[in-house]
Amino acid sequence: MISEDQCPRTTSGVVAVTNLQAQIDGLAARLAGARLGRAPTVADCAVLIDLLLLHGHVLGRIADYERAAELAEALVRDAPDDASARLARARTLATLHRFTEALADLDAAQRCGADPAVLDGERAANLAAVGEALVLRRRAAGHRRDFTTIGALAVLEGERGNTTEAERLLTEARTRYRGVSPFPVASLDYRRGLMWLGAGDLPAAGAWFDAAITRVPAYAPALGHRAEVDAALGDRGRAIDRLRPLAVSSDDPEYAATLARVLGDAGHAREAERWRLSAAARYDELVRRHPEAFADHAAAFWLTVGRDRPEGPDLARRHYASRPSPVPALLDTDTPTG
Amino acid sequence: MADHFSGPRAIADPASDITDVYVFPSPERPGHLVLVLNVFPSAAPAALFSDALRYRFRLRPVTVTTAGGTPVFVPDADEYAFDVGFAAPSPDGGGGMQAGTCVTPSGAEIPVQVGEEKPTEMFGVRVFAGPRLDPFFIDLVAEQAAHTLGRLAFRADGVNAVNGANVLSLVVELDVAAVLGRDTGPLLAVVGETVVAGPHPVRLERMGRPEIKNFILQDKQFDNVNRDLELRDLYNAEDAFNLSPAYVGAYRARLNANLPFFDRLDGRIDWRPDDQGVHPLTGMLLADFLVVDTSKPFTDGGFLEIERAVLAGRPHTTCGGRAPDDDIVDIFYTLLVGGLDGPRISDGVDGPTRPATRSFPYLNSPNPDPPDLRAVLAAVSAPPKAAT
Repeated sequence: MISEDQCPRTTSGVVAVTNLQAQIDGLAARLAGARLGRAPTVADCAVLIDLLLLHGHVLGRIADYERAAELAEALVRDAPDDASARLARARTLATLHRFTEALADLDAAQRCGADPAVLDGERAANLAAVGEALVLRRRAAGHRRDFTTIGALAVLEGERGNTTEAERLLTEARTRYRGVSPFPVASLDYRRGLMWLGAGDLPAAGAWFDAAITRVPAYAPALGHRAEVDAALGDRGRAIDRLRPLAVSSDDPEYAATLARVLGDAGHAREAERWRLSAAARYDELVRRHPEAFADHAAAFWLTVGRDRPEGPDLARRHYASRPSPVPALLDTDTPTG
Repeated sequence: MADHFSGPRAIADPASDITDVYVFPSPERPGHLVLVLNVFPSAAPAALFSDALRYRFRLRPVTVTTAGGTPVFVPDADEYAFDVGFAAPSPDGGGGMQAGTCVTPSGAEIPVQVGEEKPTEMFGVRVFAGPRLDPFFIDLVAEQAAHTLGRLAFRADGVNAVNGANVLSLVVELDVAAVLGRDTGPLLAVVGETVVAGPHPVRLERMGRPEIKNFILQDKQFDNVNRDLELRDLYNAEDAFNLSPAYVGAYRARLNANLPFFDRLDGRIDWRPDDQGVHPLTGMLLADFLVVDTSKPFTDGGFLEIERAVLAGRPHTTCGGRAPDDDIVDIFYTLLVGGLDGPRISDGVDGPTRPATRSFPYLNSPNPDPPDLRAVLAAVSAPPKAAT
């Protein structure tokens, strides 16, 4: 599937995750020191925000997203005219699906002199309208053809269903990787897996999730989706083995919810119920705090694994009304399905 | 800072980000040379070396020539390299140390354990690898203010931006005669590098003199040739001993554009560019390596002494190179701003968090107590207190 040339040598995922935490701890120490003397620099805070977002993504830690968001709010409060501060907050807002506010921050960053190429990339990530995002992604890839620009364009083509073009671009992106951090490559492999999962090609999806996990063994989203593929292919035992540690280590209820579903399907009703209750409580909490980010996930949960929650369809409809995405067939009925 | 966070790629992968390179005669063992390569700015003590990299010291004998009108250092073709590689720890952690291997110029392999205080010593070489207190020091805010204000902004009571921070250190001490040969030197050019391991050895970072990238190359606004170009990743990828002819013009243009900025900071011109706009220091700084005299004894404060002597047309008197306690910010600013005879310019920070030791590995143990992240973020996120 992957030739030697397409396999960039990267740092062990174990080392990289250890070092990511070491970077965060080290920068936190630096900020603590700076606080005693003078205000921490915007650059230090912006780097820490990016690191927290990465840590949150890789390990499935929503608490990291929340810390990054708090830090970004403080950063913009203290340096409202700094482009780096605005960009950092835009990233945290986008992570929590507050796209309109994120775009407003990007406009502010532009007025503060942010790099137009960086702004294009950030705007493309925020635009719900795929057509507009595609223009920006193609312009970026035409201007500078590197791993980041080609990879972003490839992911977008995949989301549009153009898997042939996406595959070509994804392969090209891998050959253009010039670093040793495993996270960008693992992330691209994960997105490739998602593309094939969406296209219904479970073996291809599984292979790319495996590639991501091989590179970063603790990569939570890849592990979670690999477990879904396992379950869909009939290997529930393996899916459960993957999901149990994730449901414990991650504060994202998606893993507990998936574990509950697979356990239920496998006939482990008692343990399934425990994880279902755990996911329900966490979804309640997260929808209250971050409705834009979790309403759709919570709705899907309450329509399926959650079953007994009447607000599921309403919540889901409200969410999809604000997005251009098609309303799932699941919502054509008011009756939750499991 | 010296080379901390020196480019977008380095930020993405801290274990490849060289913060500093030092070279100095051993204060403990005459006839021995010490090489230090620090990576990973603001590292927590748990930080590890990348298993996808080779950490490399390259040494070449060097001579001085004035053939082009201005004195420059010219490295020989002969090279001595020390390559250090590391394995990944086992996926389950297991509490085991990270293991590495240092390969000497003769191909001898010396095992090293990360964090092991007792150094490995074989074949005339001692090796240490592990977290250490960052020996660098600078009033970074005041230094950056100079770039914003266009005038010196240092204060007598400067604040060390690196106070209490850790790095990952590689320290190699070698018996010069036994390892390099009795006839090698005494002037040596030294650079440190991080290079991708395996069949495609892409150079990610390289460092000779401190602050070439962050002080001098980073600013774009004076550069009429490449005003929009982030040069530092490109510069990092270069062979310090053989700059690419395709890009050397870009580096030269950036140096010629930015060096006069420093000269103007005291309101006086000490370095007059030639009629082509070439700054007198450009050629010497483009030869971006540390120069050390292995025949001289250890001394603090040797940084740029050999270069200054060459520029002044006099014999050098010290070992040169760079020792951990050398105040490179003061030395650099004094030279760039005031010329060869200007008064000393100080950033108000005259030493590291803790002075270097006089015994191997010369760098202090790391700061073991990173603060609690939640507490730090709460403090940073809290609204500023109203003045009373």
